[in-house]
Amino acid sequence: MSTAFKDMTGAPEFLAHALQLEQEAAVRFDELADMLEVHNNHKGVVELFRKMAHFSRLHLAEAKERAVGVDVPALKPWEFKWPGDEAPESGEITDAHYLMTPHHALKLALASETQGFDFYQGLADNSAHQDVRAMAREFADEEAEHVATLKEWLDRYPEPDSTWDEDMDPPVSVD
Amino acid sequence: MALNSVSLALTGSGGAGVMTSGQVLVDAAAKAGWYGLMARSLGPQIRGGESAALLRLSPEPVQSMDDCYDLMLAVDWGNIERFASEIPLTSKSIIVTDPAQGEVPEIMRRNNPIIVEIPLKEIAKSVEGGRINMVALGLVAKVIGLPEDYCIEVLSKALAKKGPEALEKSIAGMRAGAEYADKLTGVPTLDAPRTDHGERWSITGNEATGLGALRGGVRFVAAYPITPATEVLEYMAPNLPKLGGALVQAEDELASINMAIGGSFGGVPSLTATSGPGLALMTESIGLSVASETPVVIINVQRGGPSTGIPTKSEQVDLNIAINGLHGDAPHLVTAPTSIADSLFTAQWTVYLSEAMQAPAIVLTDQAMGQARAIIDKPADLAFVGQRRKPELVSGAVEDGYQRYAVTNDGVSPMAIPGMKGGEYTADGLEHSPRGTPSTQAQHHQEQLDKRERKLKTFDYGDHWADIEGDGEIAIITWGSVTEQVREAIDRIAETKGLTVKLIALRLLSPALPEKMTEALKGVKKALIVEQSHSKQYTLMLKAHYDLPPVYDTLHRPGPLAIRPHEIVTALDALVAKS
Amino acid sequence: MNIQTPAPQALTFADYKSDLKPVWCPGCGDFSVLSAITKALATLQLPREDVALVSGIGCSSRIPAYTSVYGFHSVHGRALPVATGLKSARPDLTVLVAGGDGDGFSIGGNHFLHACRRNVDLTYIVMDNSVYGMTKGQASPTTEGDWTGSKLTPEGPGVAEFQPLEIALSAGANYIARGFSGKPNELTKLICDAVEHPGFSLIHVLSPCVTFRPEQREYKTMVHDGFGGAAFDEGTPDRREAFRRLMDDDGYSCGVLFKGNTPAFKPQTDAPRTIEEIQGDFIL
Repeated sequence: MSTAFKDMTGAPEFLAHALQLEQEAAVRFDELADMLEVHNNHKGVVELFRKMAHFSRLHLAEAKERAVGVDVPALKPWEFKWPGDEAPESGEITDAHYLMTPHHALKLALASETQGFDFYQGLADNSAHQDVRAMAREFADEEAEHVATLKEWLDRYPEPDSTWDEDMDPPVSVD
Repeated sequence: MALNSVSLALTGSGGAGVMTSGQVLVDAAAKAGWYGLMARSLGPQIRGGESAALLRLSPEPVQSMDDCYDLMLAVDWGNIERFASEIPLTSKSIIVTDPAQGEVPEIMRRNNPIIVEIPLKEIAKSVEGGRINMVALGLVAKVIGLPEDYCIEVLSKALAKKGPEALEKSIAGMRAGAEYADKLTGVPTLDAPRTDHGERWSITGNEATGLGALRGGVRFVAAYPITPATEVLEYMAPNLPKLGGALVQAEDELASINMAIGGSFGGVPSLTATSGPGLALMTESIGLSVASETPVVIINVQRGGPSTGIPTKSEQVDLNIAINGLHGDAPHLVTAPTSIADSLFTAQWTVYLSEAMQAPAIVLTDQAMGQARAIIDKPADLAFVGQRRKPELVSGAVEDGYQRYAVTNDGVSPMAIPGMKGGEYTADGLEHSPRGTPSTQAQHHQEQLDKRERKLKTFDYGDHWADIEGDGEIAIITWGSVTEQVREAIDRIAETKGLTVKLIALRLLSPALPEKMTEALKGVKKALIVEQSHSKQYTLMLKAHYDLPPVYDTLHRPGPLAIRPHEIVTALDALVAKS
Repeated sequence: MNIQTPAPQALTFADYKSDLKPVWCPGCGDFSVLSAITKALATLQLPREDVALVSGIGCSSRIPAYTSVYGFHSVHGRALPVATGLKSARPDLTVLVAGGDGDGFSIGGNHFLHACRRNVDLTYIVMDNSVYGMTKGQASPTTEGDWTGSKLTPEGPGVAEFQPLEIALSAGANYIARGFSGKPNELTKLICDAVEHPGFSLIHVLSPCVTFRPEQREYKTMVHDGFGGAAFDEGTPDRREAFRRLMDDDGYSCGVLFKGNTPAFKPQTDAPRTIEEIQGDFIL
């Protein structure tokens, strides 16, 4: 998929993107939390992903408030103008690992929040529509806060040594 | 003999048409008011080859063959050694042979039957367009006292498409044959047909099974052809669509059983039919039906085994695999009809059981009754129609969070059907919680195993679990198609020796109902177990599950030769003599 | 039915997920396929009760329980027959089939061929990771012949790879496409398209196994849109052209390959009769 800038047609389409972005992020972070919960990973990682899901749902609620009275278009999943293959704040699934530490989880979350920031920042800077630029600026500022917070947290969890993914036990035969 | 009947064997090779003659004979006899039975002995060839139409006609209902044949008419003697043993003769039997076909083979002369030479081929040639099988038909019909008109009536229907000329030629052939009837004396004559009977049917065991399944509510069938079960499927194929159902031909038995399970998951009572090799392939998925509690009915028409065995001949040898062939602890239903006519009842009843208990059910018929055609009284209308317990009929089943595998007192859980809102669940072959989610927990395994066993064991099967007839201190315990021969043997013993013998023929082979059997065996001191299996599969099953009388004998042997009534009488005599 | 109907409102993709947590390894591509399936169902706004998802055995075959539609997790290799029976008996339902490469192309290979040629209206989603995950990583039909990652075939399976798309095209599938789990929105589009296309549809999905084939994380750098120079959506109805495009396929082309015009299989129907009338055939 092309990463070239794609403008919105106006505020309603922008809100459709914001709503979808947050909903997908919430579901994805919950999914990541579930994965790690099922695989008995660090409690901290599960908690972090749950927290991220929670924040996403809060943002979703905010976006929904913004959308009251707006005729938000119903876009099909492939009609969204995301810069990448998925909605920007959907954490990368293949970056998950059953032994991942809070450091890795924070990196994953940071990457997704950064993508969210970039998405809004791009619209805030480049959209042809004034109302889209204004709203995107607000959203971008909020994402910037998240990015900063995650970076702070990440400082507290330095990269573990290279043996973090070593597993002395063999895999299990399931079915 | 207790039963007034005449037994006929028409044999020939290479498209001589003896099957058609036999079919016309039995249909015409039926029209005249008699009852009858026709079985076929076939070789491995698809067309031609040796074949024998084996008939028994009687004024009384008859669904099994006699000890021996009164009349054998051989159009020729090709490959006779392959099935000579299936046509037992006595010194009173008559062989009609065409001198043009050479000497009567030694193998057929062992018991010194009366041999009558009639130039069948020459007679046929003497009539324009005459066919040898029509000559045979006319001759035999005349000998047994079957009025010509009935044969003509049947023939005119059978030859309707070929036009009046073909019918005329056939009639001419028949009449030419009939003229030689005087040369045959000593063939038993049939008593006059009864005139008091109501509607009667001409039906094969395989058709009766198929019809019973339709009456029980089956509306989806997945089919893969196999001898001798194919006719069950062929009967259902054109009739299912008329009842709003459907049949799909599968790529193999692995597919057909799973298609049937899929159809049943959709809420449509579903069935497949097969024989031993196919049943073996299906067993894994029958386990899926047990675990996922998706009802399905498997008609298994038994044939000689193991492996490819003797596909065209009968044996009662899939009992072991039907009852014990599933992996894991997998309670399921196994039933067996006790006659051709009973194939309808048993199939219908089994659909009802399977649906009511959400369990797979295997119906064990066999080649002997599946491929035989009988004239029977119209079967009774039955109230057994498959009904599942649906969640919307159970208060609270959905509102409180639907549990597909809820642990219930009778073991049957409400089953939602796709399309029903709020009932969405995943059927699973993995062990599961009551909700249906996969589980490896000991408690879930225990309670689901208990539940699946309980629903079969506590179900009220009524009196249909077995055919129990007569009374006495001696019982014959049997099953399946052999039951009819046992009935005849019991009648003979009663008539010739004044001995009453009790019949116990299990219709429900699994689950075992020991209390009912104990009740049935009350007062029975000796028992004879009759079955057509080399390794005594039935006897061993009975020993595993039931308390048998202290003295019992087993009459057991493999196919393909049918167990004859006189063998049973002989075995009974030996048992009576035992202290 | 005495079941309360919720207020009618559009279902979101999350409404098609169950509350059951998948057992898939963290990082598994199958999570994204689940996401794409639920998004497709939401896009089509199919009532949950009118959809059935049928599977066999394997990692990906666990998927029905993770959705909120009717599901059947059957036995190894037999998902297609179960689905064929269900759709034939209940043509009113939307029936999806899902599973992996071992389940579909090895033990279920014969059913795959016949499902393609029978052309029942099913959508078959195969999550291909070229490995048996549930049994600790053995070579599957789509594994490279020289892959030495399994103890069972330490020198590599030494067998040519199964070509699902070529075989589906030969066998008569009416819709053939390939997707990538890492592009779930594109995959959603393919699933919607396949569900709406009549007859048997195959969607071959590259779905990485991060546990036994971690190198498959690189799929995302290898996939590209369109077969043989055509655009992602540009499926051809012409089998010759589809074969030509497949000859140029490097195994990572994504999009619609083939959209045929064969009508879906429907079992025979007939004028209605009653049981009594049918029984009449036996009366003498």
